[in-house]
Amino acid sequence: MLDDYLIADEPYYRPLGNEIALFEAAYAHRLPVMLKGPTGCGKTRFVEHMAWRLKRPIVTVSCHEDMTASDLVGRFLLDANGTLWHDGPLTLAVRHGAICYLDEIVEARQDTTVIIHSLTDDRRILPLEKKNELVRAHADFQLVISYNPGYQSVLKDLKESTKQRFVALDFDYPAAELEAKIVMHEASLPPAPAKLLVTVAAKSRNLKGHGLEEGASTRMLINAGLLMSKGVSFAEACQVAIVIPLTDDADLRDALRSAVAACQ
Amino acid sequence: MKLVTSETPPATPPLLQGAAALAFAGPMSAPWLAAVERLSQAGYGEPVVESYRRHSPEVAGKVGPNAGIALADSVSLLAIKAGRKAAELLPPAAAQAAGRVADAHRFRAFLNLMERLSSLAPESVSEVLIRIDRLLSRLDLSRLEAWVLAGIRYGGGDAQRRHGYFSFEDPEAERWLERESSDVTFEHVGRRLKYYLDALWRIRLPIREPSLRAPEASRRRTSFDRGMIRVPPVYPGFRDQQAEEIFRAALAHVAAHLTFTRDKFPARSLKPVQIALVSLIEDARVEKLAMREYPGLRRLWLPFHVAQPSGAKTAPTLLARLSRALIDPDFEDPDGWVQKSKEMFYAAREHWDDQQMSRVLGSLLGNDLGQMRIQFNAKTYVPEPPYRDDNVGLWDWGEQPNEMADEELLDESVRIVRQEEDDPDPPDRERQEPERDQGSANRARPEEQAPVDIGIPVARYPEHDHLIGRDRPDWVTVKEYEPRLGDPGEIERSIEANPELRFRIQAMIRAAKVSRPRRRRHMAEGEQLDLDAAIQAVLSQRIGESPDPRIYSTVMRQFRDLSVLLLLDISESTNDPIKGSRRPTLELEKQAVALLGEAMEGLGDPFAVAAFCSDGREDVHYLRIKDFSERFGALPLSRLAGLTGSLSTRMGAAIRHAGVELGKQTTYRRLLLLVTDGEPSDRDVPDRRYLVEDARYAVAGLTAHGIDTLCVGLDSGAENHLARIFGPRNTIMIDRIDRLPDRLPSLYFRLTR
Repeated sequence: MLDDYLIADEPYYRPLGNEIALFEAAYAHRLPVMLKGPTGCGKTRFVEHMAWRLKRPIVTVSCHEDMTASDLVGRFLLDANGTLWHDGPLTLAVRHGAICYLDEIVEARQDTTVIIHSLTDDRRILPLEKKNELVRAHADFQLVISYNPGYQSVLKDLKESTKQRFVALDFDYPAAELEAKIVMHEASLPPAPAKLLVTVAAKSRNLKGHGLEEGASTRMLINAGLLMSKGVSFAEACQVAIVIPLTDDADLRDALRSAVAACQ
Repeated sequence: MKLVTSETPPATPPLLQGAAALAFAGPMSAPWLAAVERLSQAGYGEPVVESYRRHSPEVAGKVGPNAGIALADSVSLLAIKAGRKAAELLPPAAAQAAGRVADAHRFRAFLNLMERLSSLAPESVSEVLIRIDRLLSRLDLSRLEAWVLAGIRYGGGDAQRRHGYFSFEDPEAERWLERESSDVTFEHVGRRLKYYLDALWRIRLPIREPSLRAPEASRRRTSFDRGMIRVPPVYPGFRDQQAEEIFRAALAHVAAHLTFTRDKFPARSLKPVQIALVSLIEDARVEKLAMREYPGLRRLWLPFHVAQPSGAKTAPTLLARLSRALIDPDFEDPDGWVQKSKEMFYAAREHWDDQQMSRVLGSLLGNDLGQMRIQFNAKTYVPEPPYRDDNVGLWDWGEQPNEMADEELLDESVRIVRQEEDDPDPPDRERQEPERDQGSANRARPEEQAPVDIGIPVARYPEHDHLIGRDRPDWVTVKEYEPRLGDPGEIERSIEANPELRFRIQAMIRAAKVSRPRRRRHMAEGEQLDLDAAIQAVLSQRIGESPDPRIYSTVMRQFRDLSVLLLLDISESTNDPIKGSRRPTLELEKQAVALLGEAMEGLGDPFAVAAFCSDGREDVHYLRIKDFSERFGALPLSRLAGLTGSLSTRMGAAIRHAGVELGKQTTYRRLLLLVTDGEPSDRDVPDRRYLVEDARYAVAGLTAHGIDTLCVGLDSGAENHLARIFGPRNTIMIDRIDRLPDRLPSLYFRLTR
């Protein structure tokens, strides 16, 4: 049923601490897990890696502000013969025992997020009101959400009652040496340019909260590295993969560009 | 050039002679003769006429005979407004200007500017005319205008102060001249350089222009000290890209010091030449360390090292050559001392991490220089290249007072504390704002002990000069004053006495739904069909259930999402009674604020109250009556009750400051509600329109940042000014407090669209 959602090849992941063991322990009790951390630091990659490790299918939902409960749970559709119920991604995972990963959960409306409550305590049930059905979670089902606390505005935040249901793993950008290794691996770069990219990222992260909403993510560095592996110069790769995407502010761009120039 | 002499009869000579004959040939001769005639008949004295007669042909030769004739009118006007001396000086100055502007249209603009100057600052016209060639060699006409107007603005109403500026006795004149004559000033690049420092070094110090009291030499170099970096407003001689690069190079150099010069060197027993050399070695040392971390800095710094390995062996040139040799290993210098110094420096490579190395090496090399009998003048020495700092920050001079004025340091310390307080919330956005009991917990420390009458400078703001269409940066200082406490009894009583009024205002504010419009689905009534609900209803029908009739959707503003800052004008004029009444305006203001405050408090809207008045541009008073985090309880009411009207109304600065406060609010709409009795004015601004235009500009600035600014004018006949500043639709005028509920809805109505 969920074979399409199984991950066949090991997703590359370098542990930052003992998050793998922690996640495995949480999974053993099917505790819901919340991954906190800045954009592009490797949260999604980590869940995929864990799904592969645990040999569980993973159903990923990218949350957005128009998402309704029906989008998660499912809805009746019309067909020629009448009506037909169609499970949403969450119901699918609950019924058949997958890891359901709700990415950027704060983006979803608060009335949508409350439907996960009954899944996150010992009841482990999902009521489908429209269908008048109570779905009991499959023994293998686990809920994982990601949450970026510094991101967006203060207007978006998780409800306290939602937060308190989760075991939380705190993610951050990897230490410089480790991050360089990740960039080397993912972008097939030699050590020197990878290190240089990591230095640039560290400089941009200094501006977080002082002009920039977020510093350059590991993902951005990998993008820059991929461009460099195709012969793009360091300065230009930084410009198009880091500086321009990060900000529209001309002064910030100039400062970042000059910082890039100073690094090489 | 042959000149028409004074022997020529002043009245209607039969023929033009010499230069005049050439310049005003044919049909132009008669008007020129008539102009000369007018001037001589007017009784300004022969020197004036003679000056015109002598220089107008030059003007005609450069920008045409018509301009030469028109000059006579300007001479006449200056004679009347600024005196005969100025009138006599105008023609030669005009001739020089004509040579520089070289077209009749711009020459006319020059004359217009001089005419304006003669009405705004008659005592200073001569000073400007004497220096016109120098000024025009640095400034084009529009910049000259900006410089002149800056002087008039600077002098305020004080003729002596203006004279000091235009005669260049006041260093401010030179400062503005430099600012106006440069392409790239710190003002242009400051913001990006702050980010640059922050990104590379995590340095977040305030960066300021050098104090006017600083000696000339150190005003040409950067300087740093406890908690502040000083940067010259311009680097003369550097243009365009290079001008921007030198600012960057200078700040990167200061950052290298701040990072790698851990302690100050004690200056005690060192000779001036040794101090200069220790500084130079230290400069080179920290740059080497910085370049280890950021190799790209070499590309930034190196182009400014232009010393050549030749020429006279004076101390300044040798030091500049050594600087170059130390940063650039490839630089070959035949001089023995430079060579030896370079070798010693590189031999000590292992010790670059240790700043004592600079001290040891510098002292040795200073001795050598002394033994070579090379004169060193500490008074005239300025470190080279220009991006390097003045070295003052490297030294511990013992008991000497610090160059930076204490007042300014206090100002900065307050600013820094504030900035730190303003840092973004902790990651989880636990938005627990610190409680501000006794009105001081949220403040910087110095203020706790501050007596009521001493204002703490908290911010500087630019002011917009409508005449030149530009901002004057850092022009106004806002100081926060602790409000006096008064007896709130009377305000409370007057509110209690009007239960109906209270109710109406509360109902009115409650009715204003100010928030992002939201689509409500699943409604029993509405403008649009809610497709999901409709499908659901059809489905229910087919399944055989009774359908839910709520199948519509509608767009509405459901919540209130608004923060308000009430800003009160408490200038002297608010003591005057309101039109047709005997009650002072201020009393009405307090009552209005108390009513609005109470209503908003009841509804849970975040709101703050502040008051302002001003005493010149260096002292705009800002009093916090109630902060956003505070409850509108007894203490804010006492502060409100304690307000007294005094001083003037510099509205723009107060609006900017309040805008910064409001900018931190995260609500959907942010509203600055200014309660005032009249037009902006201040003691140092004679031109009444100036502050009106500045306030208008400040309002526009807030609007651009998504902050609405509305005005409640308490009737005093200033309606036109307020409408100009805030826009007619954003201004309401009331003369009695019970008119407030009738008029206020029109303001709120604006917000709901």
